[in-house]
Amino acid sequence: MPFVEKDFLTVSDLNAQVRLLLEESFPEVAVLGEISNFKKHTSGHLYFTLKDAASQLRAVCFRGDAETLDTTPEDGIKVIATGRLTVYEPYGQYQLVAHSIRKVGVGELEIAFRALCEKLEKEGLFAPEHKQSLPAFPFRIAVITSRTGAAIRDIVSTLKRRWPCVDIFVFPVHVQGVQAAPEIIRALELVQQVEDLDLVVLGRGGGSLEDLWAFNEEAVARAVYACSVRVISAVGHETDFTITDFVADVRAATPTMAGEIAVPLITEVGAKLDAMTEQLVQSMQNRIELRSGRLRELLRSYALGRVRGRIEGAMQALDFSMEKLQRGAREAVEKRSTALARELTRLEALDPRAILARGFAVCSDMVSDAIVRSAAAGAQLKDMRVTFHDGALRTEVKERIDGKG
Amino acid sequence: MAKGKLSFEEALARLEKIVAELEKGDFTLEESLKKFEEGLVLGKECREFLDKAEGRIRELVEEKEGQITEKDVTDEF
Repeated sequence: MPFVEKDFLTVSDLNAQVRLLLEESFPEVAVLGEISNFKKHTSGHLYFTLKDAASQLRAVCFRGDAETLDTTPEDGIKVIATGRLTVYEPYGQYQLVAHSIRKVGVGELEIAFRALCEKLEKEGLFAPEHKQSLPAFPFRIAVITSRTGAAIRDIVSTLKRRWPCVDIFVFPVHVQGVQAAPEIIRALELVQQVEDLDLVVLGRGGGSLEDLWAFNEEAVARAVYACSVRVISAVGHETDFTITDFVADVRAATPTMAGEIAVPLITEVGAKLDAMTEQLVQSMQNRIELRSGRLRELLRSYALGRVRGRIEGAMQALDFSMEKLQRGAREAVEKRSTALARELTRLEALDPRAILARGFAVCSDMVSDAIVRSAAAGAQLKDMRVTFHDGALRTEVKERIDGKG
Repeated sequence: MAKGKLSFEEALARLEKIVAELEKGDFTLEESLKKFEEGLVLGKECREFLDKAEGRIRELVEEKEGQITEKDVTDEF
């Protein structure tokens, strides 16, 4: 070769070196994953992909080893494949050369579950500070679950029964198998595009630890954590705990429970509204009664015969309005309150104190309480009561001074 | 409740506040009446909101990347 040293490598050189590196670093490694794209070649070699929710790895098991396997590999099963890493140089693709493939037992899933729990907890994904409280009155709820099965019916029927005014957005996903985790993650992204969404219910019915596994995937946990909408996790039955439960804002023991936690009972909210309206009317009524009580007193003490009739009329109108209000058919209550307001304004105008406060006084006979309407009438009396806005005086009549009459 | 107006939750909270204020009764008659009327209207609006036509159930499926089809499935439940 005319070229001297090391200005570049050929592709073959590089691949060969990477291969050496990989083989030296990973002479024996055990990998947990789910089998997909499984193919048994006529040669007897097995080709497949190992994957979890976020990543995948090419793998091959040559005939010699394939014949000794205990597990028959197939798409969708969770396995631990043990072997060495190498690079298939013609494609520059790295792969696992497995010499053993073993279906994963419950024990191993539990270990993986606990390890991931510990890791995410340390990272703060379960931290209570990150959890958002649920809205008191949600009107738009997304449900991420399987379109078939009992969970969707349980969730939707509970929501509708308790809170019929709610709008529900169903995002159908697989809840087990290879598609489950990526579909759930995508749905958690999509719900964030629904306008004014109040919360998300993510769940499925009960099942084995393997069935529930999608809800224990790290990538799913992170998607729940990243979701800007509040999430209620409802996976399995009371006794099933998944990592999704820990990351979600609230865990519901069952899908039905999720519906109960998510929304209030419409009858309870309605009763509360009624009680408040009643209280409102009651305190206004007390207020008015107090007021009309005072007016009655004035009416007695000032003996304002001339306006008495008008005041009494207004009083009756007020009583009538109050009665209507008390009967209180709700649909017209708005109109009535306006009528009541008008009545009260009229009463205010009739309040004799208002007139007296402007500087007028009323003279009346000390004995009969009759109002003295003219100087001529006054001249017949020895003394008179003169009522001001703040009280009355007894006055003596000395003489008539205007010279008329 | 229509956009731009109070949300149901806000309307309810406002109503609660008015009820408490009127109970205390430190307002003039005119102020009380104004509050009273506002309270009645709020109560009525909240009530209407609860009694409005039933909510819908929609199914959302992503046919292609970013392309979501919406189907009303209210009758299926």
